[in-house]
Amino acid sequence: MDKSRLQHIINTDESVISIKGLYKSFEDLEVLKGIDFNLFKGENIAVLGKSGTGKSVLIKIIVGLLKPDEGEVYVLGQQVDKLNRKELDALRLRIGFSFQHSALYDSMNVYQNLAFPLTMNIKNLSKKEVNNAVDEVLDAVGLMDKLNQMPSDLSGGQKKRIGIARTLILKPEIMLYDEPTSGLDPITSTEVIALINEVQQQYNTSSIIITHDLTCAKNTGNRIAMMLDGQFLRIGKFEEVFDSNDEEVKGFFNYNFIQ
Amino acid sequence: MNKTSNKRAVIVGLFIFIGLLFLIAGILIVGNLRNTFKDKMKVVSLFDDVNGLQKGNNIWFSGVKIGTVFNLQFYGESQVKVILNIETSAQQYIRKDSKVKITSDGIIGKKILVIYGGTSKSNEVQEGDTLEVEKSFTSEDMINTLQENNKNILAITTDFKVISKKLVAGEGTIGKFLNDNSVYSNINAATISLQNASEKAQKLIGSLAAFSEGLNKKGTLANELTTDTIIFNSIKTTVLQLQSIADTAAVFIANLKQTASNPNSPIGVLLHDKESGARLKETIKNLESSSKKLDEDLEAAQHNFLLRGYFKKKAKSSNADK
Amino acid sequence: MINNNTKKYIFSRGIDDYFTGVHKAYKFTSLFFKEVIKKPFHIREVINQCFEIGIRALPLITLTGFIVGIVFTKQSRPSLEDFGATSWLPSLIGIAIVRALGPLVTALICAGKVGSSIGAELGSMKVTEQIDAMEVSAINPFKYLVVTRVLATSITIPILALYCSCVGLFGSYINVHTEETSSIISFYQDAFSTISFLDIFTGVVKSIAYGLTIGLVGCYKGYNATQGTRGVGKAANQAVVLSMFLIFIEEVIIVQVSNWIRYF
Repeated sequence: MDKSRLQHIINTDESVISIKGLYKSFEDLEVLKGIDFNLFKGENIAVLGKSGTGKSVLIKIIVGLLKPDEGEVYVLGQQVDKLNRKELDALRLRIGFSFQHSALYDSMNVYQNLAFPLTMNIKNLSKKEVNNAVDEVLDAVGLMDKLNQMPSDLSGGQKKRIGIARTLILKPEIMLYDEPTSGLDPITSTEVIALINEVQQQYNTSSIIITHDLTCAKNTGNRIAMMLDGQFLRIGKFEEVFDSNDEEVKGFFNYNFIQ
Repeated sequence: MNKTSNKRAVIVGLFIFIGLLFLIAGILIVGNLRNTFKDKMKVVSLFDDVNGLQKGNNIWFSGVKIGTVFNLQFYGESQVKVILNIETSAQQYIRKDSKVKITSDGIIGKKILVIYGGTSKSNEVQEGDTLEVEKSFTSEDMINTLQENNKNILAITTDFKVISKKLVAGEGTIGKFLNDNSVYSNINAATISLQNASEKAQKLIGSLAAFSEGLNKKGTLANELTTDTIIFNSIKTTVLQLQSIADTAAVFIANLKQTASNPNSPIGVLLHDKESGARLKETIKNLESSSKKLDEDLEAAQHNFLLRGYFKKKAKSSNADK
Repeated sequence: MINNNTKKYIFSRGIDDYFTGVHKAYKFTSLFFKEVIKKPFHIREVINQCFEIGIRALPLITLTGFIVGIVFTKQSRPSLEDFGATSWLPSLIGIAIVRALGPLVTALICAGKVGSSIGAELGSMKVTEQIDAMEVSAINPFKYLVVTRVLATSITIPILALYCSCVGLFGSYINVHTEETSSIISFYQDAFSTISFLDIFTGVVKSIAYGLTIGLVGCYKGYNATQGTRGVGKAANQAVVLSMFLIFIEEVIIVQVSNWIRYF
C-alpha cells in the first residue's frame, strides 16, 4: 500500500462524525458502554474488535438504523437521533453503507440494484443519465461485465464490490463498511481493501471500516480503534495501538497473525 | 429507558387487546339486542297447546313481523300462558278482539304466532291485555273428524240400504208397512239423517278438496305427509270409505228408483208427503253432487305426486289380477 | 444503564411479550394507514405486485373455485331432491358462493399462497439486511415494500374473489347441466335472481378486508423476522396461520354487520 497517498487529504480540523458518551444495550445485554471519538474529513478509521462486541451496532447508530440509549452522535453536523424522517433521509444520501453480506436486492439484477437508489431518490432522471451513473460505478469497482446478472450468480467478492458500487452511486461523503473482508479469500480481500482505498481517493470520502481482520485494518485505516467490551481500548496509528504489552491487544494480534 | 418503554408497550398492547375484544363482542351482541331499542309492549294469551312454540319465535300480524314470544309459562291446570312482546308501532292495528293462533312458517319452518282479525268496534290492545285464542286444527285432527263422519254416514246409508231393500221386496208387507206409523216415521227420520249425512259428506269433500289442494301446493303439508305414514294411511282409509259410501248411496238410489216404479210401494206415501219428498230429492241431489266432487277429488289425488306411487301400485296390482 | 438483570415483567415474560406484540402490530397497522396516503405512491410497484399476486394465485383459485362449485352443488342436491326442489339449486349455490364461499375460499388460498410468500420474501430481506440497505439509501422500505404489497393484496383479492365466484358458479353449472340439461343462460338467470347488489358489495368489502389482513400479517411477520434463515420459515408459517385465523374472525364480524344492513 502506498501510505503516503492516503495521508494527504486528511483534515484534522474538520470532524464529520463526532460521538460522545455513547451507550447502547439490547434487553439485558449492554453492547456499547461509553464510546467517544471523532472521524476527521478524508480519514479512514478501522474499528477492530472481536465478533459480537457491538462494532456493527456503532455504525448502525451513526446511520440512524438504531437509536442510542445515551450519548450524542453528530454526523455532518447533525444530531442523528433527533432528526425527523425527512432530514434523516437527506443525511443518509450523504452516507454510504456497505453491509456485511452485501444485502443486494435478490429480486433485481445488478443493473437494477445499482439504479434503484438513484431512481428512487432523484426524480426525473433520463435513462441515459442512469446508465451513465451505473457504468461509472461499475467501472470503479471493475465489474462492467456483470451488468445483467442476478446477485445469486455472483461470488462473495463480486457481491461486496457491487454492494460498494451501489452506495457510491449516490456520491456519499462518508462511507461505512461493515466487515468488508469477512468470508473472503485473502486475494479477494486484498482486492476489496484496494477498492476501499481507491474509493477514499476517488470520491474523497471519510470512512469507518468495521473489521476483525488485522490485515484489512492495517491497510485501510489511517487510524485504528481497538474495541473491547463495548469501549475503545485504544485509538491511534497501527503502530501506536499494537506497540503495547496489553494482554488483550496482544491476544488479538496473535490471533490474526499467528493462527 | 429500555425498560420503561417496554412496560408502556405492554400496557398499550393490553389496552388495544381488551378494546378489540370489546369491539368484537359488542358487534356480535348488539346485533341481537338491536330490537331491544324499539319500544315494546307485553300482551298475554292462553293456550291449551302451544305445539312446540318457543321463546323468541316471531309474531306476525297480516304477515308482518311485529314482535317475538317473550316467555311461556304453565297456567292453571293445563294451560300455557304465552307472553308476547309486541312493537308499539303495531299497537294501533291490533284490537282487543283480535285473535291469536299458532302456525308454522314454511315447510320446515319454525312455529310462529299469528295475530289476526279484530274489528274497529273494539279498542286498541293495551299493555297486559289478554288476546283470545282460536283453536287451530292440525291435519291430524281434521282427518280424525273426517273418519268419524264417514263411519256415521256409512252406518246410515247401510240402514237405508236395508230399508229400501225391504221396500222393494216387501210386497207382502205393504199393508203392514203403510199402517205401521213407526216404520214411516223411521223412514222420515232416516231421510233427515241421510240429508244431514250427505250435507256433512259434502262438507267433508269440500275440506278434502281443500286438503288435496294443499297437497298440490308446494311446501305445505307435503313434508309432514311423506314423513308421517300414519296420516298417509288415514287418508287412504278415508278415501276407501268414501268410495264405499258412494257405492252404498248408488245402491240406495237404484233401490229407490225401483220402488218408485212400483205403484203399490209405500213410496207413494213418501211422494205425496210433500215435505219428505222434497227432503228426499235434496238428499239425492246432495249425494249426487258429493259423489261428483268425490270423483274429482280422487282424480286430483291420483295426480298428486305424493299419492301417485300408491295409485300406480294399485293399477299395477289390478293389472296383475287380470 | 447499570447492569439490570432483575428485569421485572408486568405479568410474565410470555404474556408481556404477547401484549408487546399486539402493540407492535397496532403500530404497524396504523403506520400503514398513515403511509398509504402519503407521497410517493410507487404506483408501478403496486401494479407489479398486483400482477405477481394475481398470477401466483390464479391457477390454484381457478381449480379450487371450480371444485368447490361442483362439490357444493353435488352435496346440496340430495337434500333439495327430497322436496323436489332441485330447481332451487342455482339460486342456492349462487347465494352461497357469492356471499360466502367465493371470498372465503379465495382468502384462504391467498393466505396460504400469497401470505406465506410475502412473509418469506420480506423475512429473507429482513434477515439479509436488504431492508436496512433500503433504509440507509434513503428509501422508506415500509412504503416501498409494505404499503405496496398490502395495497396489492387489497386490490387483487377482491378481484380474485369475484373471479373465484364466477368459476365456482361455472362448476356448479357443469353439475346442474349434466343432471338437468339446463342451459347456461337459465342457470345464470336463476343464480343471479337471488343475488342482490348488497351481496356483491359485501363480498367485495369482505375480500378487501381479507386482502388487507393477508398483506398486513404477511408483511408484519416478514418485516419483524429475526434469527436468520430460521426466522424466515417462521415468518412465512406464522403469516399463514395468523391471517387464516383473523380471516375467520373477520368473516363472523362482517356477516353480522352485513346482516344489520340487510335487515334494517
